[in-house]
Amino acid sequence: MSVLMADARRDLEIHRYPVLIYAFIPLVALVLQAWLPRLLGQYAWFDLPLVVTVYFALGRRSPIQGTIMGCAVGLFEDALSHHAIGINGIAKTVAGFLAASVGIRIDVENRIIRVGLIFLLSLLSSALCVFVNRFLLGLALEVRWLTELFIAIGNSVIALVAFPFLDRFQSRD
Amino acid sequence: MESLFERYRNLVVLLTLLLAQIVGLAMQVHRGESGHMSVDPRDSKGVRLLRLWADMVVSPPERLFHGIAEGTSNYWGNYFDLRHVREQNQQLQATVDRLRLEQAALLEDAQQGQRLQAILKFQEKYIYKTLPVQVIGTSGSEQSRAFFIDKGSDSGVERDMAVITADGIVGKVRDVFPRTAQVLAVNDQSSGAGVILETTRIRGILRGNAVGQPQIVGLMADSRIKPGERVLTAGGDEIFPRGLPVGTVKEVVPDPDQDGFIKVIVQPAAHLDRLDEVLVITSIQPRFPPDQQQDIATSEAEKGPEAEQENAQQKASEVLAERLPGLIEPNLPADQQPLNDDTNPNPVSRPPMPIHPDRFTPGANPNTDETGGPATAPAANSPDTAAPKPAAPAKSPAKPASKPQRNP
Repeated sequence: MSVLMADARRDLEIHRYPVLIYAFIPLVALVLQAWLPRLLGQYAWFDLPLVVTVYFALGRRSPIQGTIMGCAVGLFEDALSHHAIGINGIAKTVAGFLAASVGIRIDVENRIIRVGLIFLLSLLSSALCVFVNRFLLGLALEVRWLTELFIAIGNSVIALVAFPFLDRFQSRD
Repeated sequence: MESLFERYRNLVVLLTLLLAQIVGLAMQVHRGESGHMSVDPRDSKGVRLLRLWADMVVSPPERLFHGIAEGTSNYWGNYFDLRHVREQNQQLQATVDRLRLEQAALLEDAQQGQRLQAILKFQEKYIYKTLPVQVIGTSGSEQSRAFFIDKGSDSGVERDMAVITADGIVGKVRDVFPRTAQVLAVNDQSSGAGVILETTRIRGILRGNAVGQPQIVGLMADSRIKPGERVLTAGGDEIFPRGLPVGTVKEVVPDPDQDGFIKVIVQPAAHLDRLDEVLVITSIQPRFPPDQQQDIATSEAEKGPEAEQENAQQKASEVLAERLPGLIEPNLPADQQPLNDDTNPNPVSRPPMPIHPDRFTPGANPNTDETGGPATAPAANSPDTAAPKPAAPAKSPAKPASKPQRNP
């Protein structure tokens, strides 16, 4: 249990990546997020930009970097949709901040924690989108929570595979 | 102050970014005439710039992916297709010829319809020109049923142009960039298209729901609306021409938000989840386009000699029918039948006499015994025997002449 708590945080390693990776991986995630639904149709139950945001936020353990990356990725997603720009931005800004804040306190090398965290942050991101749409903007937007649950599960499954793959891009000092 | 900022810099950065985005959002929404909040469909310059940058970043890789996927799938597909292309070409040519003939037949009706519409001061708009485009990507969001096409303002695509497939309507162009454009599908929650039910002629507005199903909203409960009824565009939204297929009624459910109202769930005619190639209607006009007119003229020319011959034959038949009296007029007595009319200046030629007349020969005595050799031969010039006598049915030989008497 001590591995998971704040006592062990000094031992937690901060992951570093080549600069290009910070730009390239989110870009690939955004492109795939826009392209894959063409092939999968209504079964595109994932949010790759969120997975990447959480991954870098957990690895870097810097709330500011997580916040900025979440904001940038979310705004980019909004720009590709026809909705107002800022809805996904707010949701992923909060998600990036929380992921990095959690990453400081617990060991996120544990797969179960990673999967659980991405699952919760996916649901939180969806809830924030609904909150912004309905309460901040007053827009009548229907949401099917079952689909959002499937997206959270899909993100968790993808994280299981993608996180170890992305770990290979770490810089070894 | 500096130490405070240093201490809470994470939160400060978070709140600053959140605040900036909330302010940005507030500038993009406005209250509509109905009192509901909505996102301004006309993006401001800053928002449009962001969308343009995002499109410039995402579109090239999407084109690349799309090209690779298309090329790979077409490689083998083309090989197998070419094996049957000659046969298919002949079949298509025959279909084209048949359709041209049919189109020429419909031309007169269409022109008459146009004349009547002109009288009623109503102009039907015909699809004048379409642009085939490829779908290269989506918005990537479950809540945004929008997708990107590979042609933009450089190819003549403009905002609010209708997008269709051969099966039915798809959506409308929402945003246009130089080489791409964003299309808002009809199953998005913020879309809207005027539709009409084909049989019941009930009009409504089509828009999507949370799961991406198109539905007609704001309809009063009506028992006439049944699943399976076709839904067509009504033409009143200034985007879709009238009469395009939208889909069929899938289900009628009560509207939980409004008592007495229903929602009509529509099964879309176009496969909105698997769009590959679509058509952008770049121009609609109140008359047939030149290429269609040329097709009509060509088909008229092809059909001309054949049609003239048919018309001539039909007219000749009609003239003959007018001139020639009928052989039998059921309303006239036997002695005044046309064949017996001696006052007619153009007497009808009498049928030649049979060499071996039988009981079916006109004028034969029906009472003649079948086995009694030739029936009474009708006199060649006797009008009484030459004229048929429909009022006197032949006596059936199988029928007994009288009831059998019982022996006591």
